[in-house]
Amino acid sequence: MKKIAFVLIALLLVSGYAFASGSAETAAASDPNTVKVGLLCIGDENDQGYTYNFIRGRDEATEMLKADGINVEWVTKFNIGEDATCTDANIEAAEEGCQIIINNSYGFEPFMLEVVDEYPEIEFISCTNCASAFDGRDNTHNAFANIYEGRYIAGVVAGLKLQQMIDEGTIAPEEAVIGYVGAYSFAEVISGFTAYFLGARSVCPSVTMKVSFVGSWSDATAESDAALALADQGCVMISQHSDNTTPATAAQSRGVFHTGYNNDMTGVAPEASLISTRIDWAIYFYEAIKAYVNGEEIPQDWCKGMADGAVVMTALNEAIAAPGTAEKVAEIEAGLADGSIQVFDTSTFTVGGEELTHAFALDTDGDFTADSEEAVYDGAFHESVFQSAPYFTVQIDGIEWLNAAY
Amino acid sequence: MSTENRTPLLRLAKRSEMDPRKVWCIRVASIAIALILGFIPILLTGNNPFAAYGVIVQGSLSRPIYIRQTVKIAVPLLGCALAIAPCFKMKFWNIGAEGQITMGAVAATYFALFWADKLPHFPLLAIMFISGAVAGGLWALIPAFFKAKWNTNETLFTLMMNYIAIGIVAWLQGGPWEGRKGSQLIPMFSDNARIPTVLGVHCGWVIALVLVVLMYIYMNRTKQGYEIAVIGDSVNTARYAGMNVGWIMMRTMFLSGAISGIVGFMIVSGANYTLYSGVANGVGFTSITVAWLSQLNSFAMIAISMMLAILEKGSNTLQTRMEIPASIADIITGILLFCMLSCEFFINYRLIFRHRERKEVNV
Repeated sequence: MKKIAFVLIALLLVSGYAFASGSAETAAASDPNTVKVGLLCIGDENDQGYTYNFIRGRDEATEMLKADGINVEWVTKFNIGEDATCTDANIEAAEEGCQIIINNSYGFEPFMLEVVDEYPEIEFISCTNCASAFDGRDNTHNAFANIYEGRYIAGVVAGLKLQQMIDEGTIAPEEAVIGYVGAYSFAEVISGFTAYFLGARSVCPSVTMKVSFVGSWSDATAESDAALALADQGCVMISQHSDNTTPATAAQSRGVFHTGYNNDMTGVAPEASLISTRIDWAIYFYEAIKAYVNGEEIPQDWCKGMADGAVVMTALNEAIAAPGTAEKVAEIEAGLADGSIQVFDTSTFTVGGEELTHAFALDTDGDFTADSEEAVYDGAFHESVFQSAPYFTVQIDGIEWLNAAY
Repeated sequence: MSTENRTPLLRLAKRSEMDPRKVWCIRVASIAIALILGFIPILLTGNNPFAAYGVIVQGSLSRPIYIRQTVKIAVPLLGCALAIAPCFKMKFWNIGAEGQITMGAVAATYFALFWADKLPHFPLLAIMFISGAVAGGLWALIPAFFKAKWNTNETLFTLMMNYIAIGIVAWLQGGPWEGRKGSQLIPMFSDNARIPTVLGVHCGWVIALVLVVLMYIYMNRTKQGYEIAVIGDSVNTARYAGMNVGWIMMRTMFLSGAISGIVGFMIVSGANYTLYSGVANGVGFTSITVAWLSQLNSFAMIAISMMLAILEKGSNTLQTRMEIPASIADIITGILLFCMLSCEFFINYRLIFRHRERKEVNV
């Protein structure tokens, strides 16, 4: 019995020591120029896509804020699910002293909103979703960027390449088919590929597009399979709205071209990938955190575009892009900035053979169908004006949905 | 040499009954060894293991909210371990609790989504509770029926049923029950369809504790519990005694599935407030470990499920504070379970080494 008692006492001592040595609990920062920010991510930076883009934004914003004398202490949590683990992660970040908590994925928002009333002094941000801005709470916010502008330009780059191939006789005009790997038939995706298609058609009138939905935001194998299938169906240009780089490598393996999203993909597919577009989250993180430290309100619904640097293009792959692409891109960027080019110009597309004259932007009664705020006026559909999250869900002529199941 | 060939270096022999005190010493020692082995992965990440264990304990128990979060993790583990205990006692290998939880959650969610504005609070919750139990029970009854009728392999059957259940939810999520088009999210339940909290945690913990007592009585004090034990020891004995083995199997599986279904109801209505395909989140499998480690004893399950919950909640904080990847915590949990399960092996068997003198002669 003595032995047992000894062992028990020893265990108790060790566990007491462990308990004490773990007491590095950090209290909320007392220095007014230091702010603790939580960043909850759906993946990790190894995706080289979606989450990686947020981590890049985080690190850039940290540098920009440091130059202003503001220190940011980040608590970054990876691989959070779009489920109740997200609720728990928000509680955890709040309890660990974060003053601002950023949720990086669309599906996090409903789970985040379960927590926000418990912590009225903490600012919660849901990127890419749309309920926080309108929920009447002061401490919940949405943010997105006009990514459709970047997609439009990526489409122009693709269209110029296709037109070059037509002019050189590599393909017939009707063979200029784009294959698009989309995650779900979701507003953000529909808005993105429509902008991309309109960009391509603005410089290559004969282009058509096929869209394949993979039913996941991030499934490297499914994205690759979809890209290969599209190439086998005659698509000579692949683009994507999904998180991985596998569509780029799939395009290269089939000898077709590609434009990407979230990250420069010329590294993994130098012979296929022309250009990518991405959101530069550093712009938002900088503004939001700076506002918080200065005691100002973080905007309820933040949305900026290319003119403010919130949407950027990655370096053009000059080796394979059509001649004159860089000049054309610069011209379009200027046109988007001064408003002379509208991405969803209703004179450039038809729906069921007719011009689009009416579409609502917002859902106010919670039935998930838009019912207020006319988005079509002044000859264009105005995307991301009434809320930051995209709301263009119209199926336009020229784009074929291969599978609408997702 | 010939004797040498016949006697292996290591032999196993079944132990006779051990002193219970000694048995518990072995168990405590196995946990201690596991914790010491757990130093290795933490050291590999370049952190102080004592600090890491400290963070695990603090992150799960140091504040009321952390304790509540830990209990929230423990409740479904406990409930589900209770559910599978009678099956395992019967040596009916039900590894389909995951699917039974999911189907219970589906049934409860149906009423939460479409009847929340038509029924008052408590009748709605009662219907969700009952429908969850019935759905889980029926889902479990299918493999039991096939086993009783055609002696199909219940392990494979129950396992496969899990994927069907999860597939059904994935379909509902992207199809008929989807909220915003393309979002793959079922809307959150209204307050009417959420179970009330007791001491800050949803009242599922009270239900689980009541079930602990009921299950203990059922297994140890009732005729049905006795029948289950007899079948577990010998199906032929049970038949000889005139028991209808097929019927008892189906009855027990229905009961087991019903409890899992109730767990599913508690998860959607008390913790997640919505349904998604990962609703069971591995609970159906982890609870097998809980049931085994506690030797199918209902009261021991409380301790084991709390222990696993502490590890899970604590490892979350470990990731937050020390930036140790969550997978390291999974490795520690794995080491712990491995040590605890293997210690049961050493409690039941002993190792006999080849006789030392003979070895020396041969050298």
